[in-house]
Amino acid sequence: MFSCSKFHFEGGLGIYLSQKRKMTSREKILASIASNKPTLVTLPNVPIFEGDGSIERFKTVLEGIGGTAVELTTKAECQEAIDKYYHDLVNVASDIVKANVAVNLDTTKEILEQVDLAVIQGEIGVAENGTVWVPESNMLNRALPFITQHLVLVLDKNNIVANMQQAYDKLEDIGNYGVFIAGPSKTADIEQSLVIGAHGARSMMVLIY
Amino acid sequence: MNHPDHPELAEAFNKDFERTTWHDETLWFVRQKRDKAVYPVPEFQDLRTLASEIKDHTLSNLDNYLIEFEENATKNGVKVHWAADATEHNQIVMEIIKNSCKVEGRNARLVKSKSMLTEECHLNGFLEKNNIDVVDTDLGERIVQFRNEPPSHIVLPAIHLKKEDVGETFHKHLGTTKGEKDPQILTEAARQHLRGKFVATDVALTGINFAIAETGSFVVCTNEGNADLGVNLAKVHIACMGIEKIIPKLHHLSVYTRLLARSATGQPVTTYTSHFTKPVKGKEMHIVIVDNGRTQQLGREDFRSSLKCIRCGACMNTCPVYRRSGGHSYDFTVPGPIGAILSPNIDLHKHKSLPFASTLCGSCSDVCPVKIDIHVQLYKWRQIVGQANELPAAKKWAMKGMAKVLSMPKVYNLSGKLARGALRILPHGLTHNQSMNPWAKARELPDAPKQSFKEWYEENRK
Repeated sequence: MFSCSKFHFEGGLGIYLSQKRKMTSREKILASIASNKPTLVTLPNVPIFEGDGSIERFKTVLEGIGGTAVELTTKAECQEAIDKYYHDLVNVASDIVKANVAVNLDTTKEILEQVDLAVIQGEIGVAENGTVWVPESNMLNRALPFITQHLVLVLDKNNIVANMQQAYDKLEDIGNYGVFIAGPSKTADIEQSLVIGAHGARSMMVLIY
Repeated sequence: MNHPDHPELAEAFNKDFERTTWHDETLWFVRQKRDKAVYPVPEFQDLRTLASEIKDHTLSNLDNYLIEFEENATKNGVKVHWAADATEHNQIVMEIIKNSCKVEGRNARLVKSKSMLTEECHLNGFLEKNNIDVVDTDLGERIVQFRNEPPSHIVLPAIHLKKEDVGETFHKHLGTTKGEKDPQILTEAARQHLRGKFVATDVALTGINFAIAETGSFVVCTNEGNADLGVNLAKVHIACMGIEKIIPKLHHLSVYTRLLARSATGQPVTTYTSHFTKPVKGKEMHIVIVDNGRTQQLGREDFRSSLKCIRCGACMNTCPVYRRSGGHSYDFTVPGPIGAILSPNIDLHKHKSLPFASTLCGSCSDVCPVKIDIHVQLYKWRQIVGQANELPAAKKWAMKGMAKVLSMPKVYNLSGKLARGALRILPHGLTHNQSMNPWAKARELPDAPKQSFKEWYEENRK
């Protein structure tokens, strides 16, 4: 019994020592960085650049990247605009206009796949590149803006800024998930020929009120 | 082990002169799109300076930022993994997939959006060997996946293919009409095919363009929507990043998002700039942080700034050598000028020809959004290749011979006289014989003057 416990003690000590000697990859990587990194270099300050944050510029750029921009007088006019431009689309998901497909966090893939049109709220528009910030809280379901065949974002004209410095300055919180969406999905992977409508939305409109 | 070097592979590529010219013009077209997008931005050069300095700072404090990033990501319910090398990375990804998918009677399914890191680690092959079905969903990547070849460009994976080639591939794998080459129709076929894959997938994997230490979030930039479609329909999101993808604060993204797409494709921004912070309740999010040679590069004073790279591909689009030799001639996951300064760190012997695949014109450094002095590093790697005795024998002895001749004025003068005489007397076929004078492969030697400049000077100016 004495020799048994001695064996256990030495075996246990051996395991303890080998575990102590072996560094995790995390430790290895951090140690390697610590020994290889240069002396500390100053972090520069990023100014908030000025620029053209007009509705006109936003519209021009958005149209240049394959999107459409429509100006409304009030948000209430959204329904009219949807009726006008998308009257032939059947399955609509939205919390802003009339919808016949209920979409929330638990909506199945099978239902999401059927959505023809999604109309949701955008928060910030950026004139230099036509992009619009859409936080998860506006998406109804994270997959919706990407799986819908056509996408409409509704945007308050007072939330249009000139450039990304101004946009990130205005953005208080990126939440759990949020996407800057600039126009419809696209690709030029086949011999540099631009094709609008790759895997995401085939078309994209911004209703500016 | 002998493997073909850049000159050999480039020569094979150049055999089809017309195709080479087409490839050249296509890439230059992308460079021109970049210029059109960049010139109207008055503060573009300031943005480049900021981008460069932010990354310089980050690299000098990288360990602390990675720790901060991990802490914040973990607080958000994201699982953070560390991989020292490619093998470990692949193992980790496989285990995440296997542990999260208990599937019966079929393989686990993975969809991937573009990640050059996973190409570097050769992830796909490893997963397939372990009974995991992998579908690359970026259109260009899917095309090369079907063709069983590596991408030839880090942003435009199928840039080496003509639409007829893609048509052929899709006819074979997707059943499109034989001879169909309309990009619109081919893309639509891919859309339908990949929709099915997105909906049926178990796990989705993405790369990471930027990881933010301040919030533990990461950003994925795409045009097609495949990254978001994949991860938002799957139960598990795996995001892979090299250690150098970290930036300190959220607002720093404002700099990089203004530079990336303009430099890469001439777009003002990518269609989707997706910010991931927390997974949906009930779903899983994993981040795999990878070294695989990066900390070694960090220790190289002359070359550490190559880690600032944001993988835009602008250097490739502008490089005359890349344009006329194609990405496959570099035989490294990341080709072109940036590949030529990253690869010797990984394997100096295998990639010894890459720093020489350059005219040192400096165009790459001109367009680099983070101001990496690429052409200077190419030159510096050449010194290291020489010192490591890795120069090809002919070049080594020619350089040694030249050095000797240049150090002996009498020999130099005589050699010059003989060369001028030979050029005048010998037939063109001999002086421009391509096996004896490889310099003459695509060039005409100038007419031999009667005198050397030195002789003329002594006659006329002394």
